[in-house]
Amino acid sequence: MGRRWSTDNPSFSWREGANIFTKVLIANRGEIALRINRACQELGVATVAIFSEADRDSLHVRQADESFCVGPGPAARSYLNIPNIISTALVTNCDAVHPGYGFLAENARFAEICNDHGLGFIGPKPSVIALMGDKATAKRVVREAGVATTPGSEVLSSIEEAYEVAESIGYPLLLKATAGGGGRGMRVVADAGDLPRAYAGATAEAEASFKDGRVYLERLIREPRHVEVQVLGDEFGNIVHLGERDCSVQKPAHQKLIEETPAPNLPAHIRGKLHEMALRASKYVGYTNAGTIEFLVSGGDAYFMEMNTRIQVEHPVTEMVYNVDLVKEQIRVAAGEPLGYEQGDLHSRGHAIECRINAEDPRNNFAPAAGAVSKLVFPGGPGIRVDTHLYAGATIPPYYDSMLAKIVAFGDTRDVAIARMERALRETLVEGVSTTIALCLEILATDAFRHGRYDVEFLANEILCVR
Amino acid sequence: MTPTVAFIGIGTNLGDRAANVERAVDALRSLGTIARRSSLYRTQPWGKRGQPWFLNAVIALETALTPEALLPQLKQIEARMGRTANERWGPRVIDLDLLLYGDLTIETPELHVPHPHLRDRAFVLVPLSEIDGRFDALRDALPRAELAGVVRVERESALTMLEERPLSAGDRVRALARFLDDSDAIRVRIARGDEEIELAANSRSMAPAAGRNDHGYGTETPAARVDTIKADLVGIFHLSRPVALEGEIFNADRELGYIEALGIRTPVHSMGAGRLVSMQTPDGSPVEYGQPLFLVARGR
Repeated sequence: MGRRWSTDNPSFSWREGANIFTKVLIANRGEIALRINRACQELGVATVAIFSEADRDSLHVRQADESFCVGPGPAARSYLNIPNIISTALVTNCDAVHPGYGFLAENARFAEICNDHGLGFIGPKPSVIALMGDKATAKRVVREAGVATTPGSEVLSSIEEAYEVAESIGYPLLLKATAGGGGRGMRVVADAGDLPRAYAGATAEAEASFKDGRVYLERLIREPRHVEVQVLGDEFGNIVHLGERDCSVQKPAHQKLIEETPAPNLPAHIRGKLHEMALRASKYVGYTNAGTIEFLVSGGDAYFMEMNTRIQVEHPVTEMVYNVDLVKEQIRVAAGEPLGYEQGDLHSRGHAIECRINAEDPRNNFAPAAGAVSKLVFPGGPGIRVDTHLYAGATIPPYYDSMLAKIVAFGDTRDVAIARMERALRETLVEGVSTTIALCLEILATDAFRHGRYDVEFLANEILCVR
Repeated sequence: MTPTVAFIGIGTNLGDRAANVERAVDALRSLGTIARRSSLYRTQPWGKRGQPWFLNAVIALETALTPEALLPQLKQIEARMGRTANERWGPRVIDLDLLLYGDLTIETPELHVPHPHLRDRAFVLVPLSEIDGRFDALRDALPRAELAGVVRVERESALTMLEERPLSAGDRVRALARFLDDSDAIRVRIARGDEEIELAANSRSMAPAAGRNDHGYGTETPAARVDTIKADLVGIFHLSRPVALEGEIFNADRELGYIEALGIRTPVHSMGAGRLVSMQTPDGSPVEYGQPLFLVARGR
């Protein structure tokens, strides 16, 4: 191939002679659609945006080279409308599809259909998406690779079996539905006396919610931190990690609000263990493209939780400290390019924090807000990056995710990054809808956050409950 | 630089044509002062069948911009309007041509002034001579048949009239109805702020819509409902054979076209009896969800 890759170029910028995809369909909306469009523009790759009727005036439609309406507002009929999306890629002569995150990003069938139609899917292979998409299978597979997973049982057949297994794992425990999600069919079991009631409750709730009453036991990890590792692999078996991100500031229902890298107060040996486990698991499944392996970290223990086979919302913090463009790298390796660098060539510098600005009301259980944004000011200045699709006068449709913007602050040290984030949030003005700006400021001001001593329960227990 | 008068040709044959011209004129105001403005002319496109008719006009723009600066501005307006309407294939939403720039002659790879086809295009010369008598002789030199293909659709610009005089809603509807009756326009829509008026004229070939008077104007201008048949999937649009001609009346549901997507043909129907007013998308074009394909007038 006529491309030259240079490891002495710290920004991994693309050299002349690029011959990757000619046109990419961006199968997403909002800020990530803009993010992908930017990467394509810089690579000289033409773009086709898709949009729903509710997003006609959206920024991603305006900035792409071409745009196609693929359906009405509800996502099921537009951004999840596989036939219309594939048809758009074909009639506009695209040679690849970037799925972004959410929507079809982790739909193995969609990736397969893309390939069947001669379209490159900018992500891992369909078989790997399917493998890691099933949580139970993913755990079994990474255990085979020698990666620690939360100690737990197989599906329980009776309460008697539950007693037996519980004794061997040790209390406290978590009863979980195999078909579970969103906390339904889940019960905390403090000791053996709790088990009968928890078992009956979880089974009934799982049956009612998912028409599948099967449950299993897992050790309850107390006050865990959510730390994830970014990996990137090419199609020649080369795979590297780009450090970790601490995403422990989470809203109820495990939705991330603030992320940072490096993870604060993480002992070096645990950090090293996470990186090593992430590489081991990724290599074991033959992972290609960008992916993230999520771990629960508690004390000196770290357990594999799940793998996200796509670009993450919080990828910019990694980009800031590694000075790399992950979306460009995704496109490049999907086109069959080798990484061209090794783990030893990668060095992070400084600290980066991301705050998610969502259109929702933290005082009202994070109820999503829709409407028109009347006034809008975004921050700027040294070390600040804003990824957003918002503009003054924009209408926020009620159909989609409520995230409006990601504000990212970089600093040589964590303290500098926090100070920058605070002044950036104070510079930010979004009028017309309620947002998470004030809540983010409140979190940044706590001692727990300042000292980097927080876990996934922190937001719910120390801020939301005392409001 | 002292302002120079530039003549700009406006053409549109997609979507709400009258509104397109208005939007273009509004956009041109940012480039100078509009000194004169022709009426709107309806032009049948030559050559290709199945193309919707054009609406053409010419304006005289007093501008301080150089021709080199003006041209990209015009292209930008075209791009902006094309992008908003999401129709980038086949016929254009708006075409802006720099016809003349003062008395300059410019020949560069990008710029040809006077416009090379100025002398042989009736749809340019007719509106141009309306606002500048110097071009009467050129216009009269064109073949009669060509001149006949360019029809003025307004005696006095109904649109301008509505802009200049504050009228009651009823007056506006009556003025529009008169305008429709006097012209051969099929449909007129005027949107300003929150207000939108849309009227459609019945064709002579249709059965008269007897006594219907929903709109509060005189019974002498019966209105037909015009439905827009839209694409409900993404694919390549084709006309079905035999190809329906504009003006064709069908007494029952008729397959007008089909959309080919992922190897499957999905027919596009007239959705019942009616008259084909116009085709909105050329045969063989890629279409997006919701893209207008046909306008079908319903009788009674």
